[in-house]
Amino acid sequence: MKYALYLGCTVQAEQYAYEASVRQVLPRLGVELVEMEGASCCGFPAFSSISSLGWHYLSARNLAIAGSLGLDVLPLCNGCHLSFTETQHALEKDPHLRQFVDQKLAQEGLNYSEGVRPIHMIELLHDIIGADRIEEAVERPLEGLKLASHPGCHAIRPSEMQRPDDPEDPTKLDDLARALGATTMDYPEKTDCCGSLLSTASGRTTLSIAGEKLKAVRDHGFDGLFTTCPYCFKMFDGRQRAIGATIGDRSLEVPVFYYTQLLGLAMGVEPEKLGLELNMSPVDGIVKRITGGSN
Amino acid sequence: MVNSALVIGGGIAGIQAALDLADRGVEVHLVERSPSIGGVMAQLDKTFPTMDCSICILAPKMIECSRHPNITLHTLSEVKEVRGSAGDFRVKVVENPRYVDPVKCTGCGVCSEKCPTKVPSEFQMGLGTIKAISVPFPQAVPLVARIDTDHCLYFTKGVCKLCERFCPSGAVDYEQEPREVELNVASIIAATGYRLYDPTEIGQYGYKRYLNVLTALEFERLVCASGPTGGKLLRQSDGEHAHRIAFVQCVGSRGHRVGASYCSSACCMYATKEAVLIKEHEPESEVTIFYIDLKVFGQGFQDFVSRARDHWGVRYIRGKPGEIREDPRTKSLTLWYENTDTGEVAKTEVDLVVLCTAMLPHESSGELAEVLGIETDEYGFLRSKDPLTSPVETSRPGVYVAGCCHGPKDIPESVAEASGAAAKAAEVIGMSGTGGD
Repeated sequence: MKYALYLGCTVQAEQYAYEASVRQVLPRLGVELVEMEGASCCGFPAFSSISSLGWHYLSARNLAIAGSLGLDVLPLCNGCHLSFTETQHALEKDPHLRQFVDQKLAQEGLNYSEGVRPIHMIELLHDIIGADRIEEAVERPLEGLKLASHPGCHAIRPSEMQRPDDPEDPTKLDDLARALGATTMDYPEKTDCCGSLLSTASGRTTLSIAGEKLKAVRDHGFDGLFTTCPYCFKMFDGRQRAIGATIGDRSLEVPVFYYTQLLGLAMGVEPEKLGLELNMSPVDGIVKRITGGSN
Repeated sequence: MVNSALVIGGGIAGIQAALDLADRGVEVHLVERSPSIGGVMAQLDKTFPTMDCSICILAPKMIECSRHPNITLHTLSEVKEVRGSAGDFRVKVVENPRYVDPVKCTGCGVCSEKCPTKVPSEFQMGLGTIKAISVPFPQAVPLVARIDTDHCLYFTKGVCKLCERFCPSGAVDYEQEPREVELNVASIIAATGYRLYDPTEIGQYGYKRYLNVLTALEFERLVCASGPTGGKLLRQSDGEHAHRIAFVQCVGSRGHRVGASYCSSACCMYATKEAVLIKEHEPESEVTIFYIDLKVFGQGFQDFVSRARDHWGVRYIRGKPGEIREDPRTKSLTLWYENTDTGEVAKTEVDLVVLCTAMLPHESSGELAEVLGIETDEYGFLRSKDPLTSPVETSRPGVYVAGCCHGPKDIPESVAEASGAAAKAAEVIGMSGTGGD
């Protein structure tokens, strides 16, 4: 298993912990990650609303770089994955767009190739590596932890756009959490949006959408929330205090993890290598529980 | 001259057509795929808009079919081949084994008492169970037991045989084989009915995922005195009585993404009927019907809806819920919707949701059309010759259609068509009479 690792803007600008944990856990599961020299923003969502040409060009450019490595591409973000998938569809359907993109890419000696598949992290972990293989790699089972999964909108929608899980009843992240020995439960708010994409339009709305979800997670008795999307993560983790203030619930204290951080902990990786000190939500208690306080 | 006709399908349309023909002195062969005639109407609690007991109207007709000297019943049977032409069709019918001799069986039920294997009852829409050998439902015609070979211990594991040991009339016969019957008939009426859309693929409604989301036909069994709960509205999740019930219209009907694009035409009325039934059982219940448009076009239908709204207090909300969510603890359901009368987006919590699902062409429709040498329409229903001027005729002379096999409709319309088709089918016999004798 060898993939071109596409980090994307959010991860490189602020979500270092995700990259750190990904680079720790995937090689241990036999995944070789190859750097993408010269990769740029995926174009989504910032550019798509202003210039769809610019968006598709940027997406196609990244796919072309992965193509030049002869590899499928592993974007770390739900948004980047959707962006690549949508661009592939658009290029397939629109020969004029394809022509434009080809010309632009030719200027820097790049070639768009249809064969590059964007692989979603959920797809890689659940469908390609498999929950069984992950279970075998577990050294410290997350016993007694009840975790809420958050796939994030773009991991499941638009449903006709080859998403890695079911739009109405996503269960793959739950399978993956159970593989680590944790308990999961279906909860009504599972498919709710994190609110991030509204932040440029209305900060308060964004925070109260996220707040409703975090409150529900707490009220259902979960010990924490986990996701594979850095865009959702930074909302629930980084802005949790602001969320609490907005919804008038200062006692909101929901530990938020990347799945790869939990996986790393369960595999016995030291917490500092998984960037856990960068999590802004209160994760220390759970980390100690898993590591047995050895940290 | 050939003085007989074939009616395919033993629902209300087929029964009505068979009785009409038989009363005119025509010998009728009534072929039914399942173990009993009766069809969907036998499963209904009440009929709209008169709120008559459905089985009370149907059962006498079913019995009349079995007793009528001019009607021969072929249950568990399928039409495999049709040759010839109007006035002189040669029809091959395969009668599948019941593993019980219909002549000896008295329907006493001892076999079912002794049988150790429970299977989900199709008649109760899987909400109740029957035994692997049983009469499918109390009013079944013929009142003869049948062995479900998928579950029977003798057929699956080669053991048991309790039913054979205890049957007082020695009717159990494990050796029965499919039997081919050759019929000579002058005309054929197809009345094979429809199938209901399975709403599982509409993930946002959670059917099969949420125990308290039912289809309307499942609900019909639940509210029926002869149903699995004796007519009590008990929730599947916890056996608690449901007091707050919501109906969702057009589930799989009038859709562009899933199901059928057409209106299923009976749902607004049967939802109203079911809503009134709930209110009759327990007037304090809160009943809401979510609809796109209320299509209540028949005689007395609008009055029926007005009475449901004004007298019984059934709440009608114009808006199709976008999502149904289940509370993981209480298993109650929250519907999110836009009230398109007010533009307000709202949610409401209920104990039970009923999905009024689309009426689709029967599974057998395509195959039957081929056997009969007629066409299907763009949806897969059997096609009428001309919906305006010859609605019950088909492209093949001597072959007629009645009821839901050529489009969704309610009971009165199905019955009217059945009588029309019977009259047409009898005409053929009259013609062959003058020509042949």
